[in-house]
Amino acid sequence: MQQRPTAAELLADISTLLRQVIDQVPEWQKHQARVAANLASIVEREVTLGPANDEAERARLATLLDQPTTTDLATLRGQLLKRLNDPTPLDSDESVAIYDALLDTVRADLAISKPGYADWTQEET
Amino acid sequence: MSLPSVTEGLAAWFADERGETVTIENVYQSSAGARRRNLLFDAVGDGKVERLVATVMPTAEIELSDVGTEAAVRELAADAGVATPRIRGVCADATYLGGPFFLSERLDGETIPRRVLRLVEREGNGETVVRQLGTALARLHSVDAAKAPAKLIRPPDDDPIAPMLERMRELMAEQLQAEPAFVYGLRWLEDNAPAKPERCAIVHGDARNGNLIIGEQGLVGILDWEGAHIGDPFDDVAWPCTRMWRFGEDQLTVGGMARVPVLREGYEAGGGVWDDERFRWWRALGTLRWGLGLAGQAAQHIDGRFRSIVMAGSGRRVSELAYDLLLLVRP
Repeated sequence: MQQRPTAAELLADISTLLRQVIDQVPEWQKHQARVAANLASIVEREVTLGPANDEAERARLATLLDQPTTTDLATLRGQLLKRLNDPTPLDSDESVAIYDALLDTVRADLAISKPGYADWTQEET
Repeated sequence: MSLPSVTEGLAAWFADERGETVTIENVYQSSAGARRRNLLFDAVGDGKVERLVATVMPTAEIELSDVGTEAAVRELAADAGVATPRIRGVCADATYLGGPFFLSERLDGETIPRRVLRLVEREGNGETVVRQLGTALARLHSVDAAKAPAKLIRPPDDDPIAPMLERMRELMAEQLQAEPAFVYGLRWLEDNAPAKPERCAIVHGDARNGNLIIGEQGLVGILDWEGAHIGDPFDDVAWPCTRMWRFGEDQLTVGGMARVPVLREGYEAGGGVWDDERFRWWRALGTLRWGLGLAGQAAQHIDGRFRSIVMAGSGRRVSELAYDLLLLVRP
C-alpha cells in the first residue's frame, strides 16, 4: 500500500498546479491545459466516489433485473443492454423502472464528471 | 500561410476577378473552427473601403459542401429575408489563399456565446433575438427546396427521419462502450419517430448560439452554413434549443436567451407551422447525436486516430448528454 498522499490528494495537487501555470502556457495550449486541470479534478472525484457509485449501480441493477445480489456489475450491465436491444416492447412499468435506474446511475456519474449538472430537472418540453 | 501572402493573395484576386486595384488592410484571423478559418480584412480601393470576411477552406477535399454550394444557399436564404452576411465573391481556385474561399460582408456584433449572453442580459433583448431567429428559420424553410443547388445534400425519398435513425444505429454500433441511457433514448426515438415531413426544406443545420451574430438591436445575421442540407425543418428549430447551447442559462431553453413559446411565436410570424411532437423528437435526436459524437471523439483519442487531451476529455462529458436525453424522453 502506498504512503500518503493518496491518489485523490495527488490528483487535487496536479489540478491545482495546472490551474496556477495556465497564464504561462502558450496561447494554443491554454484550452488543453484547462481541460487537463478539469480532468484531474474529475479523476480525483472518481477515485473518491467511484467505488461506492459502482456498488450502488450494481445493487440497483440486480434489483431491477431480479438477479442474485452477488452478480457483478459488468454482467448486470450486459443484461440491461441485452434487454434494451431486444425489440420486444417494454411494458409501461418496466420502462419506468429502467428509466429510473438509468437516471440514478447517470446522476451518480455526473456527481463525478460535472457536479451540479443534474440540479437542472425542469426541462421545457 | 503567413499574413503577407494573404494580403498578396487577396489583392491578386481583386485584380484578376474584379479588375480592381486594392490594398488589403487590417487583416485579422478570428477564432477559427478546425476545418476553416475566417480572415477579417478591409479592401481599400479608389476612395472606398469594403469591410469583408474571407472564409477559407484548408483544402478542397474535406469540405462538407463546396464553397459555391454554401454561397448559393446563403444567397437563397438572404433573398428570402434571412439575416446573413451577403456573399461578395466565390473562388474555387486554391492558388490565392491555399484553399477555396468565399468573401462575405462583415457585420458587427457578438458571436462568442458567453459574450452574446452578456450582451443580451445587458440589453434585455433575448426575446427579440429568439423571435427573430424563429422568423428567420421560418423564412429559410419557406424557400422552395427545388431551387437549392444540385449539390446540396438531400435525403432519399424526401425522408430525413429513417436515414437519421439508421445513422444513429450505426454510430451506436461503433461505440467502444455502450451507454445504456443512449440505447434507451434510441428506443424512444424509434418508437416515437414522426412521419416524414409534408415537405422537406433547406435547413441551416447549426443555427444555435455561437453561430449567430447578435447586436444591440437583436439578431444581425446567421453564420456558418457549411452544414446546410435539405431536411426536416424541425431539425433546425429544435437544435438551438438543446441544452449544450445555453451555456448555463438552463431555464432559457433557446440558447440561454428565451423560452420556447417565443421561438414558436417568431416561427409562426414568419409563416412556419409549429409541430410539438416533431420539435420534441428532434431535440432528443440532436442530443443523442451530440452525445454519440463526444463518445466518438474519445474513441479517436483512445485508438490513436487523433490524440488530444481535449478529445479524451469529451469522454467524461458523455454523461451530460445522457442526462439531457433522459430528461427529454421521460416515460
